Formats: sequence, structure tokens, C-alpha cells
Amino acid sequence: MAIFADAINLTIVGKGLMVGLGFIGPSIGIGLIGGSYLKSVGRNPEAAKFFGQALVFVAIVELFGLLAFASTFIVK
Amino acid sequence: MIMSLIKTMAEDGPSIHVAPGGVFHLGGFVITNSILYGWIVSTIIIVLLSFVARKVTVKPKRGFTQFVEVGVDFISNLVVNAFEDKKVGRKYVPYFVTLFFFILLNTWFGLLPVVGEGFHSGESPLFRPFTGDLNSTFAMAIVTMVVVYVASVKESGGIRKYIRHFFVGSPKNPLYLVIGLLEMFTDLTRVVSLALRLFLNVAIGEMVIAVFSYLGQFAAPLTALPFTLIELGVGALQSYIFVILGIMYLAIAVNHSQAHDAEHADPEDLTEDDQPETIGASSTQSVRG
Repeated sequence: MAIFADAINLTIVGKGLMVGLGFIGPSIGIGLIGGSYLKSVGRNPEAAKFFGQALVFVAIVELFGLLAFASTFIVK
Repeated sequence: MIMSLIKTMAEDGPSIHVAPGGVFHLGGFVITNSILYGWIVSTIIIVLLSFVARKVTVKPKRGFTQFVEVGVDFISNLVVNAFEDKKVGRKYVPYFVTLFFFILLNTWFGLLPVVGEGFHSGESPLFRPFTGDLNSTFAMAIVTMVVVYVASVKESGGIRKYIRHFFVGSPKNPLYLVIGLLEMFTDLTRVVSLALRLFLNVAIGEMVIAVFSYLGQFAAPLTALPFTLIELGVGALQSYIFVILGIMYLAIAVNHSQAHDAEHADPEDLTEDDQPETIGASSTQSVRG
């Protein structure tokens, strides 16, 4: 095990896993928001006026991805 | 040649700072680079906006004056339309318009080439965007939430009445007691989420620009340009979101307490109060353009 620890820097692997896994959720969420916005506009073009509210929800979801990215700076 | 380039890249890497660094001392306090740039930008904002305020006329003007007029109009419509009672909404317009322009101009001035990793004083950069510092965004979030709490206590008429809203019926019911305490705790996390969202967006934007200007080496202006342009949009969006979330928190509390008052005063009047607890949809139309 000590050989592995010398060969691979486990901190960097951990950071990579953290960012990669942490970005899965927000990307699915933003995709769902955008998809349902476009779907509702397709059904009812009047709904295009809710673009600002869709952006608000994108920003709320995005926070969790940013948190995952920011926590890589805590890992030493 | 490429191998040697990769080697030099791997050796030193781009210089990235997450926390603000001290620049000089003033009367026993360390003045960090973010607060220094915050003072400079605040002075610019005060001078610029008071200059613009004198130039505003009934007949629309072009240029920067028009931009400020559009911004003020947009945010004040947003605030006024969020409240059922327009008179109540008009009271909170000045605070939110100020907040919007403060965050927007601070973030945009933070994208200038003098700010960031380019110019160092000692070990840390000389300037840093004010919104790219967790302390300042926390301060803004705390002030916003204090305004929200004071206003909602005032509008609902007394602190007892305000706290009663958290407990659906009465706090004596154990289920409602737990729900109410949980709601009160969730309210406090708003401060953290407001502060972290703004800070992380701005700070990560700075980092991305630093990384790409490092990767570009001699072509740094070309590689960093697209990300700087993205950051312009991010700055506008984040200032809009900070303001609209503040308005939403305030509007939910105020409209809710007014609906309760109406319930007690005149039960016939409830049909008028079925407005959804969202921000006025008509005002968001101008975002698209």
C-alpha cells in the first residue's frame, strides 16, 4: 500500500473525485430546469416571460456545484 | 519544446488566492486588498452616480445615463410588483436599487486588468474585487437579512405576531412546534447561502481567468478574453439574483402577514388575496432583451 501511496498522489485523486461527483447533481438539475422551460415555452409561447425566474433557479442549483469546487481548497 | 513547456507549467503553476491578503496596516488594523479596492470602487460609484443623478431629465438621454435609468427602473418595478400593497413596496425601493448597483459595479470593476493576480504587492495581489471576498459578501447578506427581518416584524405588527407565523397554528401542538423550529433554522441558512453564492461565483471567475491567462502564456489576452466576457454576464446575473432573493424573502413575509390581517379583519376579502408568493411576472419580461 505504501508503494501505491508513493506512486499516486491520493490527494489529487480525491480532489478530482470531489469535483467530478459534485458537479453531476447541479448539471442534471440545470438540464431539467432548462428542459422544462423549453417544454413549457413550446406548449405555450406566453411562458417565455418566465426566463428570469428560470435563471434564478439555475443560480440556486448552481450553488451546490460551486460548493463542491470550493471544498477542494479545504482538502490538504 | 512542448514537453519543456508542460514541465515549466507543472513546476510553478498559476498563482491563485482564495482568501484576501493584507496590503498595509492602518491604526492596528490590517487593510486587505479587497477592502482597499472596495473603498476605491465605492468612491467611484458615489461620484459617478451622483453625477448621473443630476443629468437625469424627462427626455431620455443616451449613454451611461440611460443604462442607470434602465437599471433603476427595472429594479424598482421588481420591488413594487412583488408586494400586494404598492405603497409598502415603494418604501423598500432605495435599499434594493443601491444594493443592485453596488454589487453590479463592484463585480464589473473587478474585471479590470489591474485587479487580480497581475499586480502584486508583496505576496498577495494589490487589488481584489470586493465581492470576491467572503467577509464582504457575508456583511452584505447579514445587512440584507437584518433589513428583511426588521421590515417583516414591523409589517406584521410586533415580534410575537411575526414568530407566530412560523408555527402554523399554535406552538402548543408538538408537530407544529417542530415544524416551526425547523422553519426558523432554515431562515438562518439564507444568510449563508446568499453570501456563499455571490462569493463563489466571483472568486471562481477570478480563478478561471487566472488559470487561462496562465495557460495562454504569451497569448494571455486572447485566451482570457472569452472568460472575462462570460464573467460580465455572471456579474449581472448574480447581482440580479442577490437582489431578487432579498425581495422574495421580504415579500413572502410581508404578504403573508397582510393576508393574515385581512383574514381577521374581513373574511369576504380573501378572494383578492390569492396572489402566488412569487415575484411579479410582468417585470421579468425586460430580462430577455
